[in-house]
Amino acid sequence: MRQRLTALSPFLYLLPALVALAGVLGYPVLDAVWTSLKHSVPTDPSADRFTGLANYRAIFGNGAFWTALGHTGLWALANLVLQLTIGFGLALLMHQKLAGRALFRSVVIIPWVVPSVVVAVIWRYLLDPTSGPLNQLLMSTGLTQEPVLWLANQATAMPVVILLSVWKWTPFVAVILLAGLQAIPEELHEAAMIDGAGLWGRLLHVVVPGIRTSLTLASLLTIGYSVNNFNGIWLFTQGGPIGATETLTTFAYRKAFTEFDFGSAAAVAVVLFAGLFVVSTAYFFSVEGRKGRKL
Amino acid sequence: MTTKRRLGKLGLYGGMLVALVVFVGPFLYAVLSSLKQPSELNGVEKNFLPGTLYTENYTNLFRTSNFPVYLVNSLVVAVVTTTLSLLIAILAGYALARFKFAGNRLLLLSVVNMQMFPAVLMAVPLYKILRELDMLNSRTGLTIVYVTLALPFCIWMMRNYFLTVPIEVEEAALIDGCNMFTALWRVALPPALPGAAAAGAFCVVNVWDEFLYANTFIDSDENRTLSVGLNSLIGQYTTDWGQLLAGGVVMTIPVVIIFAFLQRYLTQIAGGGVKG
Repeated sequence: MRQRLTALSPFLYLLPALVALAGVLGYPVLDAVWTSLKHSVPTDPSADRFTGLANYRAIFGNGAFWTALGHTGLWALANLVLQLTIGFGLALLMHQKLAGRALFRSVVIIPWVVPSVVVAVIWRYLLDPTSGPLNQLLMSTGLTQEPVLWLANQATAMPVVILLSVWKWTPFVAVILLAGLQAIPEELHEAAMIDGAGLWGRLLHVVVPGIRTSLTLASLLTIGYSVNNFNGIWLFTQGGPIGATETLTTFAYRKAFTEFDFGSAAAVAVVLFAGLFVVSTAYFFSVEGRKGRKL
Repeated sequence: MTTKRRLGKLGLYGGMLVALVVFVGPFLYAVLSSLKQPSELNGVEKNFLPGTLYTENYTNLFRTSNFPVYLVNSLVVAVVTTTLSLLIAILAGYALARFKFAGNRLLLLSVVNMQMFPAVLMAVPLYKILRELDMLNSRTGLTIVYVTLALPFCIWMMRNYFLTVPIEVEEAALIDGCNMFTALWRVALPPALPGAAAAGAFCVVNVWDEFLYANTFIDSDENRTLSVGLNSLIGQYTTDWGQLLAGGVVMTIPVVIIFAFLQRYLTQIAGGGVKG
C-alpha cells in the first residue's frame, strides 16, 4: 500500500490538524515566549518594547514567585502521593469479584465526572461557615465551639484544597490502575498461590510489578495535571487567603488578568511549561516504549 | 469457605462501603439538598433528608436565572467542538498511524507535549489573537480555541486506535478499487469507532468543564457557558444554595449519561487525557 501513496499524501490528511494546531497552539506558544521578553500591557499595545530577560529577573527576584513555586511543589507532591495510594486501594476494590461490582465501578467514579465548577459548588456548600452541614455537625456535637472557616483560614486552606483535589481525581487514577490490574494474567496469581505466597506476597510480587506501567502513566499524568491545575484552586480560594494557596498557575493568571502585566505572566508560564516538558516527554516515551516501535 | 476468607470478604465489602461514603456521599448529599427548602438549607431547620419534596430550586433556576441561556451555549459549543475535533483528528490520526514520513515521530511527540501546555501559558496569547480577530466575547472564538485544545488528545487517541486495525483489509479495499479516502471511511474507521467514541466523550467532558478561558474571553451574560455561568450565580453576600445546587445537578446529568454509555472505554478516556 505504501508504494501506492505519493510522498505528499500524509500531509493532505494532516493539513487541517496542522493549520489548527499551528494557529491556536504553535503560534501562541511562540508568542508567549516572545511576550516574556517584552514589557507588555494589554491596555496599551503601543507601549510594547523588548526588554530581554528583565521579566525573568523580576519574577526570580520576587518572593511571591518562590512561595508560589513552593506551593506548586507541595500541591503536586501531596496530590501524587495521596491519589496513587488511595487510587491503588480503590482500584483493588474495583477489581474484586464481589456482588454489585458493576454498580460500584460506575458510581465510585462520580467525582471524576462531576465538572470542576459543580465540585466547587457542592463543597463550598458543605464547608460553608454559617449554613454548611459540616460546621453544623461539628458544632452540634460540641467538637468545635464556633464554625471553622475551612477555606478562609490560612492554616486550613491548602490542606482542604488538596483534599478536594484528591477527592475529584483519585477515581481517575483508580481507573488507570484498574486497567493495569485487569491485564495481569490469572495464572500468575495461581502460580504464586501454589508457591505458597500469601496475600501480601502476591501483592508485592505479582500485582505491583504487573501494574508498573500503569503506575508510571498515572504518576506522570497526575504530576502534569496537578502542576497545571487552575480550577481546583481558583474556584475555591482564588489563591488566597493572603496567598496561602497561590500556585504558579494562579500567580501567572493574576499577573496577566488582574495586574495586566502580560510580560511577567508569560515569563512565569514559560518557566512552568519548561518543567512540564520533561514530564510529558517522559510520558511519551513510556507509552511508546510499552507498545514497542510500531512505525 | 474458611473463616479467614469470609473475614476477608467482609473486609472488602467494608472497604467498598467506605469508598462509597467518601466518593459518592458528598454528591448524593448535594442532590438531596437541592430538594430542600431555604429554611432547611440555611440551617434553621436541621433535617438530613428534605422534609418535603421541594422542587422550586429547579423551577426558579429555569424561570428566574439565565441558566437556560448558559445551558444552550454550552450545548452548542460542546457539539460543534466535538464534531470538528473528531473530523480533523480522524484524518490526522490515520496519517500518523499509516504513513512513514519525515518528522512522523517528532510530530507525534509534539502532539503529546501539547497536551501538557499549561492553560495559563496559552491564556495571554489567545486573548491577544481573539482580540485581533474581534472574537473576544464570542462563542465562535471560544469554539475555535476549544477545538485546538481537544485536538492533541483526539489525534493521539485515533492514531493509537488505527494502529490496532490490520492494514491488510485496507490493502484489499484499495485493490478492489476504493480510493484512499473511501478506504479510510468505509474500512479503517468502523473498527476504530470505539476510539472515536472515547475521544468524543473526552471532548464533551472537557468543554463542559472548561472554566479558565470561558472566564477570560467571555464577558457578557448571553454568551456565557455553564461553568462560568453557574459560578456567577454565587452571590457576593448572599448565596442561593438551593438554586446553585440544583444548577450543579442539572449540569452534571449530561456527563453522567455519556459516561454511563461509555463505561467500557473508561480506561481509554482516562489513559491519555491531561486535564487542567
